[in-house]
Amino acid sequence: MKVRREKAERLADEELMPLIGEKDAAAFEVFYDRHGGAAYSLAYRIVGERAAAEDVTQEAFVSIWRSGARYDRARGSVRSWMLGIVRNRAIDLLRSRSSRAPKLGFDDEAVLEQRPADEFTDTEALRRETAREVRGALDELPGEQSKVIELAYFGGFSQSEIATMVGVPLGTVKGRMRLGLEKIRGRLAEGLA
Amino acid sequence: MNEREHEMRRDELSAYLLGVLDPGEVAGLEQHLAGCEECRTELEWLRPAAQLLPETVQRVEPPKELRTRIMDEVSAGAASKRSGVRLGWRRMPVLRPLAGVAVVALLAAAVAGYAISDNGGSGGGDATTVAFGHAPGVTAKLVRDENTGTLRLANVHQLPPSKVLQAWVRRGKRIESAQTLFVPNRDGTATAVLDDMHDVNAVMVTTEPSGGSDYPTSDPIVSMAVPQ
Repeated sequence: MKVRREKAERLADEELMPLIGEKDAAAFEVFYDRHGGAAYSLAYRIVGERAAAEDVTQEAFVSIWRSGARYDRARGSVRSWMLGIVRNRAIDLLRSRSSRAPKLGFDDEAVLEQRPADEFTDTEALRRETAREVRGALDELPGEQSKVIELAYFGGFSQSEIATMVGVPLGTVKGRMRLGLEKIRGRLAEGLA
Repeated sequence: MNEREHEMRRDELSAYLLGVLDPGEVAGLEQHLAGCEECRTELEWLRPAAQLLPETVQRVEPPKELRTRIMDEVSAGAASKRSGVRLGWRRMPVLRPLAGVAVVALLAAAVAGYAISDNGGSGGGDATTVAFGHAPGVTAKLVRDENTGTLRLANVHQLPPSKVLQAWVRRGKRIESAQTLFVPNRDGTATAVLDDMHDVNAVMVTTEPSGGSDYPTSDPIVSMAVPQ
């Protein structure tokens, strides 16, 4: 197992997927260790409760394992694909509850800091730098634009629901969503230039 | 192209990437995208912005027990796959097997949305009720080749990005994932390869969350008996 684990650690995510599809537990373990933190963080961001976030993360990873890791390169990176699965399951959980209260900020004192620096890899460092760019872009957006994006992505609310919640016409919500995402993309392009 | 519709669809690109359009809107937008290069270009340009949103959340370390639980379940899953452990969904609709031909044309017409009458065993029998639903027109064809099968669906509605089609097989009374997730093409066709048709009595397809499910969570859009 140790040898297989060491070998799996040297593989890119895209190379791990076929192994996971063949039920290679060592490959799956590496996959979880790479992305489990991001998955749990996203789930917690959406559902706002640790126990529920654990359930969402567990369901997402186990579904990937049991479904044979049917990853489609055309839909983006492995990590984006996996986080999309987590996001959808978290939103499904929110929608299954009778009342939804989107968690729009982090004020939980239990929120922990990032992993120690000695665990960083080049890939992780680049990812964090890119995340900082996007987070910066999100922070710089006019409040009404960042709000509709957060309500949509992290709250799973439809544009009509957001229009009702915010008290503006549907067309305004669509416009804010579009402008906001365009600005984030523009900032990202500048940062990567 | 109608300029007004073009602008309307263009306004939907962000919501599409953020995963908040309803299935009807997704279908309309994807139809527009098929014929609008400008919107396709903008969609691909915007995509990284949406895909990186989850990276912006503050990192919260998961408990170590979560890793242990997941790996335990993974190990148990591998074991149950080997031994054929029964899943919770005990019965599926069984349709009368057709004559033993290699190509089974399907009954799926109008099977979409049918309900399963299963009282959780309280009735003590295996009776199943099939009701025809609200999404008629779905057809399916299964082509068998030794122990593999190719399932081809037609007239399938487009799915939102958060959903996939998942194939299931029944062996005796056991329902098992066929380990196959797939999505419809723009023309409503969808194809799944079933790697192991050994002892399979029936095949069905459900709509599941991305990544698939451990057991069916929705009514089948199609179900077919497989002649032995």
